[in-house]
Amino acid sequence: MLQMTQVSKVFRTEVVETHALRALDLEVTEGEFVAVTGPSGSGKTTFLNIAGLLEEATSGEYKLDGVDITKLGDRDRSRLRNEKIGFVFQSFNLIPDLDLFDNIDVPLRYRGFSRAERKKRIEEALERVGLASRLRHYPAELSGGQQQRVAIARAIAGGPKLLLADEPTGNLDSQMAREIMRLLEELNAQGTVLVIVTHDPEIAARAQRNVHIVDGVATDLERGPSLVKKAHA
Amino acid sequence: MIGYYLALAGRSLRRNVVLTILMIVAIAFGVGASMTTLTVLHVLSADPIPQKSDRLYYVQLDPKKLRGVDESPEPNRQMTLLDAQNLLKAKKADRQALMTGGNAGIDAQRPDLPPFPLDDVRQTTADFFSMFDVPFIAGTGWTAADDDNAARVCVLGKALAEKVYGSTNVIGKTLRVEKDDLRVIGVIDDWRPVPHFYDLNTDTYGKGDQLFLPFSTSLQINVGHSGSTNCWDEHTDAFAVGAPCEWVQFWVELDSKDKAAAYKDYLIAYSQEQKRAGTYERDPNVRLPDVMQWLAYNEVVPDDARLQTWIALGFLLVCLVNTVGLLLTKFLRRSADIGVRRALGASKRAIFLQLLVEAGVVGLVGGVLGLGLAWLGLWAVRHQPATYADLAHLDMPMLLSTFALAILATVLAGLLPAWRGCQVAPAAQLRSH
Amino acid sequence: MHFVPILSTLRRHKTAALLVVLEIALTCAIVCNAVFLIRNRLQRMDKDTGVAETEVVDFRIAGIGVKQNEMAQTVQDMAALRAIPGVKFVASTNMIPLGGSTWNTGVSLNADQTGATNSAVYVGTEDLVETLGVRIIAGRDFTPDEYQDYDAVMKEKVHYGSVIVTKGLAERMYPGQHALGKPLYTWGKQPQTIVGIVERLARPNDDNGADITDCAFIAPVRPAYTVGAHYLMRVEPGRGHQILDQAETALMKLDPVRLVFGKKTFAEVRAEYFKEDRAMAFLLVGVSVALLVITGLGIVGLASFWVQQRTRQIGIRRALGATRSNILHYFQIENFILATIGIVLGMALAYAVNLWLMHKYQVPRLPGTFLPIGAALLWLLGQLAVLGPAMRASMIAPATATRSV
Repeated sequence: MLQMTQVSKVFRTEVVETHALRALDLEVTEGEFVAVTGPSGSGKTTFLNIAGLLEEATSGEYKLDGVDITKLGDRDRSRLRNEKIGFVFQSFNLIPDLDLFDNIDVPLRYRGFSRAERKKRIEEALERVGLASRLRHYPAELSGGQQQRVAIARAIAGGPKLLLADEPTGNLDSQMAREIMRLLEELNAQGTVLVIVTHDPEIAARAQRNVHIVDGVATDLERGPSLVKKAHA
Repeated sequence: MIGYYLALAGRSLRRNVVLTILMIVAIAFGVGASMTTLTVLHVLSADPIPQKSDRLYYVQLDPKKLRGVDESPEPNRQMTLLDAQNLLKAKKADRQALMTGGNAGIDAQRPDLPPFPLDDVRQTTADFFSMFDVPFIAGTGWTAADDDNAARVCVLGKALAEKVYGSTNVIGKTLRVEKDDLRVIGVIDDWRPVPHFYDLNTDTYGKGDQLFLPFSTSLQINVGHSGSTNCWDEHTDAFAVGAPCEWVQFWVELDSKDKAAAYKDYLIAYSQEQKRAGTYERDPNVRLPDVMQWLAYNEVVPDDARLQTWIALGFLLVCLVNTVGLLLTKFLRRSADIGVRRALGASKRAIFLQLLVEAGVVGLVGGVLGLGLAWLGLWAVRHQPATYADLAHLDMPMLLSTFALAILATVLAGLLPAWRGCQVAPAAQLRSH
Repeated sequence: MHFVPILSTLRRHKTAALLVVLEIALTCAIVCNAVFLIRNRLQRMDKDTGVAETEVVDFRIAGIGVKQNEMAQTVQDMAALRAIPGVKFVASTNMIPLGGSTWNTGVSLNADQTGATNSAVYVGTEDLVETLGVRIIAGRDFTPDEYQDYDAVMKEKVHYGSVIVTKGLAERMYPGQHALGKPLYTWGKQPQTIVGIVERLARPNDDNGADITDCAFIAPVRPAYTVGAHYLMRVEPGRGHQILDQAETALMKLDPVRLVFGKKTFAEVRAEYFKEDRAMAFLLVGVSVALLVITGLGIVGLASFWVQQRTRQIGIRRALGATRSNILHYFQIENFILATIGIVLGMALAYAVNLWLMHKYQVPRLPGTFLPIGAALLWLLGQLAVLGPAMRASMIAPATATRSV
């Protein structure tokens, strides 16, 4: 489903060259749940941006659902991003001026669905995350956990094949965090590929696979007690 | 999608009302000022007789002395009475008319309306009415025979007819002009060619002539001359036949370019003949401009009107630069919003379009307000002291132009901000809080 | 203060900075020229006619139909006018300074009228000089025996021997010499002698060019009212309208078969002549004020935006020890730099615009004194505009540096 080969990303300013990613190889198959871990500044955010088609790699090859991304222009990338990927951010990133309906509506509009189709999907998505009754409320009226649930609804309304989450529980207390993780795992169980970038070992422990990025290089790790021990040290 | 963008635009503009109002007001003032001055200019430089302005020609000859008071190399702007009568008799054009402005005392012979001066008199010949497509609502003009016989007839304008008789149904009535009675044989509708192209020596943008009578008649009944008289030599009576003075206008109608060329040749031949006879001193120096050429030659549009238009356009330019800046701040303030939309799958093109629509909405509202201001501006112009003042009206083309100008200008101003807005990288916004 | 960091910050916000500079430059160019044009128009409206303006009134009358004994009627009319209390002098004449319509003729130093100077010609009855109130600076007014009737001169070619010229015409015809007593060809094959020179007598209009605006002469030729159409009166100040109305009554009584078509005090004649200049001056003032307001508000908008964009940076500076004043001064200096660049560009642009105006609309050259005035105005405007946002910036709490959400 997601295939990166020798992907590297270099940031160049006038004075300094930063290698955020070096020759990263990664493959994620259908239905997998992968946690991407690593210390701050390791490049995991860059990895997420490239995986989510938000940034272009400096070199290397990236295939998403069989499509070679590296050759695509902005229009095609945007379309792919719209159709195949759902984002969940640490700070929710809901648009405060819009009510929940209109927030979830945003990606559907760029998809070009009819009015009826959009309405159906929005209602189903909100139902799925358990907030159907708050359809016309505004993000400010919701708790953190509820906002994240709406963000997830927005991410899945278009039926994406890949869910990319960046520290989805970072701004939530432990109870809400558990709820969100349960929801994401349910979605994964139903067939959506789930890639979560996190530095929380508990979340990493729940994934099928861990990919550890340090200094721009990825290492696959099996889930195991050794990792847990390292994190606690 | 456009509907979606319009909804988003509305929402966004309502969010920061002050900024939006500022933009709209700036656009409105710029558009209002520009449309006011452009309308005035449009009125002043319009073709006064578009259906035949390319078939009507003004005749200029040069009977001036070689040396003397006026040594200008240009042919005269008006004609001597002798030359005009000669050309009229020769009948070399499809139609021709001799004319000049006049003033006379009108006695309505009503106890409630004392005699009044009329400055909008035209002393002319029979072809005038057909040449200039003058619209009659009753009766007709006079004939060539009437010209020859100095018939005591006249044609009235609608306003004069209503002033004197209270109606336009006045064929056959008499009008006392100076000390003589003229029989009314025709009444014309409101006719006010702007500019007053056929005689630029009387009010160029004035209300239009109200009393028409045969030239020969006006000479006999002591109608005064209105306009300009220029003499280049000694004379006793400037208005006598043969006096070295120019004071009448001569227009011809020529239906094709070939005929025009032929007529010009005739004028040259006529000048040479006059030189041989000793009447002219100079070599043939003739001109035959059509209506628009004649207007251009005389530079009828007042410099002040043109200058005011440039000032207004300069003002609009500053308003637009202002709008570019304000739109830029408006769009960039929303970087987070744009970043999220990009992440969710909006292409750069989609964002660009969305922002451009927002600029367009500002332009539309600014256009509506600008139209109001232009209407107000023209109201002020109509109360200004210039003679063309009451012509300052917004007609349909100018009205539509106002909207077009406002929307086009604002969208143009919005191009740079929209482009900058759509460049907002989706990745960069996600981490910043 | 630290110019370099300010400049480098501006370089990163190039677009907005350029917009501020452009807006200031355009406003500077337009306002400089507008103010100059206003001054021009006001100067034009200040024209000195040489006439006793508070005391002169203009009465216009025409006969209906052919008249007999027009000259006798004219004499009778003037006697009646002189009898009105408050009237000091009366003259029948053909035109009036700033009146609009004019009689012009060529004036030269030789009989065949070559190289003639276009000059306005005032004809009038005996009291014209006194009626107008023009000041004779050399020579004298006409004597009674020097006058001829207009009809005699035109129809019977009777010669009139003297003229009174304006100083402007005298200097043009006899530069550097005493023109008094010298000959001048104004009409006919014989010259006239210059018997008097008046300081100034304006022409009815300047359509023939600004260089001959001072060229006019008075001929001792009496026009009947049917030829001249003007009765000028010199009256007690403040009674102009009253006297004009009395004049109408008196003259219509003498011969009702005629028309009065103008009664104006000289102030009204003047106002009518300059009405378009006045309108233009108003328009220019309006546009200038509007431009300054719009530019000011634009700067406020852009400056506010900048402050908002740099909130974190400002907080960091404050946390590192910058005082409120430091922050305030930072933005004021930044604005000053932009305004300076804009003004420099604006001056160049103002000159370019002025050159174009000179070429197309015969406007004189923009004097150098306008540049520092324009600069000062725009600096002031910029500083006023940036004050609000800069004060808001200085109020940003240092705590924003530590907050990351």
